[in-house]
Amino acid sequence: MTNIQNKNSIDKAVIPKSKGKNNSQSGSQLNHSTDWFTRMVKFSPKFLLLLLIVPVFGGLIGVLLPAFGWAPALSQYDFGFQGFNALWQTSGFGQMIGLSIATGLVSTLLAFVVTLMILAAFFNSVWLDRIQQILSPILVIPHAAAAIAVGFLIAPSGMISRLFSPWLSGWELAPNGIFPHDPYGISIILGLTLKELPFLLLMALGALAQPELGKKLRSQHKVALNLGYCPMTAFFKVILPSLYPLLRLPLLAVLAYASSSVEMPLILGPNTPPTLAVAIMQWFNDVDLNLRIKASAGALLQLALTGGLLALWLLGEKLVKCLFCESLTNGRREYGGAYWQTITGVVTVSVIVFIGLALLGLVFWSIAGFWRFPTALPDSFTLLHWQSAAMQVGEPLFNTLFIGIITTLIAISLTLLCLESEQIKGKLLSRFTSLIIYIPLLVPSIAFLFGLVWIQQLLAVQVSFISYINVIIAHLLFVLPYVFLSLASSYRQLDSRFAIVAASLGTKPCKVFLKVKLPQLFAPILIAAALGLAISFGQYLPTLLAGGGRITTITTEAITLANGASRRTSAVYALMQMLLPLIGFILAWVLPKFIYKTAHR
Amino acid sequence: MHSIKSLQHNTRRNFYCVAFCVLISLLYVLIMNSAVAADVHDNEQSVQWKNIETHGVKQPVYFHAWGGDAQINAYIQWVAQQVKAKYQINLQHVKLSDTSEAVSRVLAEKSANNHSQGNVDLVWINGANFSTMAQHSLLLKGWADQLPNFKFTDPDNNPAVTLDFGVPTLGMESPWGQASMTFYYDRMATLTPPQNLNELVTWTQQNPGRFSYPKPPDFLGLSFLKYALVVLHQESLIASNGLQSKDQHVHSYQDALYAPATPENITEVLQPLWIFLDELHPNLWRKGKHFMQTGLEMRRLVDDTELSLAFTFSGPEIPAAVKRFDLPQSIRSYAMADGSLSNTHFVGIPYNASHAESAQLVANFLLSPEAQAYKQQAEVWGDKTVLIASRLTAPQKNLFKTQTSHPSALSFNSITRTLSEPHPSWVEDITLGWQQRYGVAP
Repeated sequence: MTNIQNKNSIDKAVIPKSKGKNNSQSGSQLNHSTDWFTRMVKFSPKFLLLLLIVPVFGGLIGVLLPAFGWAPALSQYDFGFQGFNALWQTSGFGQMIGLSIATGLVSTLLAFVVTLMILAAFFNSVWLDRIQQILSPILVIPHAAAAIAVGFLIAPSGMISRLFSPWLSGWELAPNGIFPHDPYGISIILGLTLKELPFLLLMALGALAQPELGKKLRSQHKVALNLGYCPMTAFFKVILPSLYPLLRLPLLAVLAYASSSVEMPLILGPNTPPTLAVAIMQWFNDVDLNLRIKASAGALLQLALTGGLLALWLLGEKLVKCLFCESLTNGRREYGGAYWQTITGVVTVSVIVFIGLALLGLVFWSIAGFWRFPTALPDSFTLLHWQSAAMQVGEPLFNTLFIGIITTLIAISLTLLCLESEQIKGKLLSRFTSLIIYIPLLVPSIAFLFGLVWIQQLLAVQVSFISYINVIIAHLLFVLPYVFLSLASSYRQLDSRFAIVAASLGTKPCKVFLKVKLPQLFAPILIAAALGLAISFGQYLPTLLAGGGRITTITTEAITLANGASRRTSAVYALMQMLLPLIGFILAWVLPKFIYKTAHR
Repeated sequence: MHSIKSLQHNTRRNFYCVAFCVLISLLYVLIMNSAVAADVHDNEQSVQWKNIETHGVKQPVYFHAWGGDAQINAYIQWVAQQVKAKYQINLQHVKLSDTSEAVSRVLAEKSANNHSQGNVDLVWINGANFSTMAQHSLLLKGWADQLPNFKFTDPDNNPAVTLDFGVPTLGMESPWGQASMTFYYDRMATLTPPQNLNELVTWTQQNPGRFSYPKPPDFLGLSFLKYALVVLHQESLIASNGLQSKDQHVHSYQDALYAPATPENITEVLQPLWIFLDELHPNLWRKGKHFMQTGLEMRRLVDDTELSLAFTFSGPEIPAAVKRFDLPQSIRSYAMADGSLSNTHFVGIPYNASHAESAQLVANFLLSPEAQAYKQQAEVWGDKTVLIASRLTAPQKNLFKTQTSHPSALSFNSITRTLSEPHPSWVEDITLGWQQRYGVAP
């Protein structure tokens, strides 16, 4: 699994290197310019752009028009600000915005700080690898499943409370608590932080695993240690300034997601009032159809809010740079490193214990018979919940796998073609294209998905499996960026000499691509595929909206059941949600050991 | 007409004769018509139904229905098997977490000018969702009362099947079942559950934090508020006209709550409810500052022992939940002495349904004695039938025989008094007023 991250870092570090080989390839370009494969490859970046720009920007327009009062569906044709006026007058509007900003910003900041602390405390130690091994499975847990697990743990009748009752607390009935659904959004922050922490950590480790950069930084760190710097100080003064640029994009994606997601706040957040994104979703689904104008206005506000937060983050970055630039070179070796080391240890252990307990609780619930508070273990165990889920899971499971596999296949083929076009054209994708690829990660999905659905209905193509196509297009928006991230650097680092030798022996470009390049990339492609599948499996809003509620997947079922009557059924679905991507990653890890073994030294 | 024409031809000169003959033939037609009216109507209906049967078979039907209950989902699966065998109809249950999702879907289709290829073929609705769909003309009209099995509901003497929360259904939806509000409590936490609304207030004072209701516009949350409103409204009327007989009160309270809300009476009618809630809320779960999102969440909180008292609109789900370990064995069900809120739920067909004929076949099957009896069995769903026993034949009645009940189930005949749902227009005012007063935690 660590491999994903190894390939993750974006172009920057690789640019100088790739220039050399590109020159050598420009010669072969002339020979094959009429070849169908080459033409297809050259066209692929344009197709990629089309596939991303049309839905996202089309969707935004589809929200923009109703927001300003133009909604033929509701016989409203007057442009105006009625939607926004209704928005301002919503009771608890300020709290809603505050909650969205606070949960988004605090959880991202917290996840980032803990990531840095763990990196700083355990840099160059064996513990870093172990922490990574423990935390990386969290990465594949869908947000909904993670939220369900966290909710089970912190509820008044949850695992933590059971462990201390009644011998310490004296509680015979579950106490009156505020978690989850606390009005301050602490539960949301907790859930988001725990989920984003492994992501950021693995992104950072992926960046550090780049051969040249990693080697350079590690040796610089050693020099700093030899000069008497405390290990943590050395990390912050030597490594962080070079590492941060590579973490910026993942951080912004995390921030954008945290401020606009619906899964976590829906399962863990308050409802008097909820976060803005959840409120928008509820308005869109409300019986009173006129609320859709307000919802569209809200979606625009969400866009502005997330944009504002991203800008704030970048501003904060500048500020931190200004404030601490001098202290980088002030020569101070020690900032209470020993204390920080201890604190980091405690934080890391508690994070791991917390996650462990949450998962344990989930497993227990999925097989529990009667389990009355405050016993810490179920009275009896039963497979009933798994059996009844197995009876009903057929269709959702098929949909999940079908959509996931098709989406991932498209995403991987398209990514590979685009990367091949880079090599054929002899230059990297334009900055514009690279930016567009990450747009779906930075624009709040709730802002454009509703518009996208509207457009899909407007086109009204009458094919029986149209909902599948719609869902696959919507999933592609979120799968493509991750697959691209995952494949780009390994493709660009591919030793071009094999391809040159093959070409000079008269092999056609498509054969070079299929027979020489792809086998060498077998392992990274499988990892990217597992990642793509995991992302597709976890999608809630796109599946729900683009599928028109007709397409049920494990994730939509899990969220429908999350706030439902049965913790037991909910636990079963959450576990299924975790197992599916896990199986994907295990396959991606095992298969290369048996197939194309010779391609790996 | 032929006879008239030939007469005209023969006696062209005699105008009176013609007039007379015309009159006679008209009279004849009129008399014959009224004499055979019923017959012709029946024939027409059966011909129409034959048409529907021939066109409706071998097609898929997308049934959009709330999918939050395993028992109900299993029942719909059973229906799917039956209509597959009967009509080769492929019934697909589209599980909604909220029925309004289907309403918005049909509306979105209407806006996109999709007037005949809609995604929703059949939708399970009542109350506010129905009145919204009817208001926006999103439902197919005049089909439900033409269903062959509709006669079993005795529509002439049973207004519950043609009125949805007081709104006439006009054949836009076919009745499916009846529900009444049932309370349940945890015997290990309390032995004296409240028997009426006033006792509820004192009970929550003695057991703070052990009761709450889902946040409106959740269906169950609104039902609790409507139950309180109806009871309080009756009380306030009795208090103000203390000497009048009870029948008159019933009549006069119906005037206000069973007619559309007017700007003049909203404040007055709803005032007792807000006073009651102001008193109740401080002793609710989380001190009334946070409310659960759904009725199902409420049931889970009872299992968590956070709540000791709760309520549901489908009583049979309680013993079923105990059997699935989702509620402790110490749960008991009962009905409030001051009345149980009751309503009918329906299935409707959107105006743009792709398979409207097939949907009618399914709706007709849902109304059949066989499907209704199976649905009423406690271990299947336990939803009360809408069919009237006097309209059924003896073998059909036999289908409805009852079995011995689970200790957690509502005992037979415990509902002594039913309260009708107020007019749907009140829902909006209750929701709005609630939102303004309690929607934002202070």
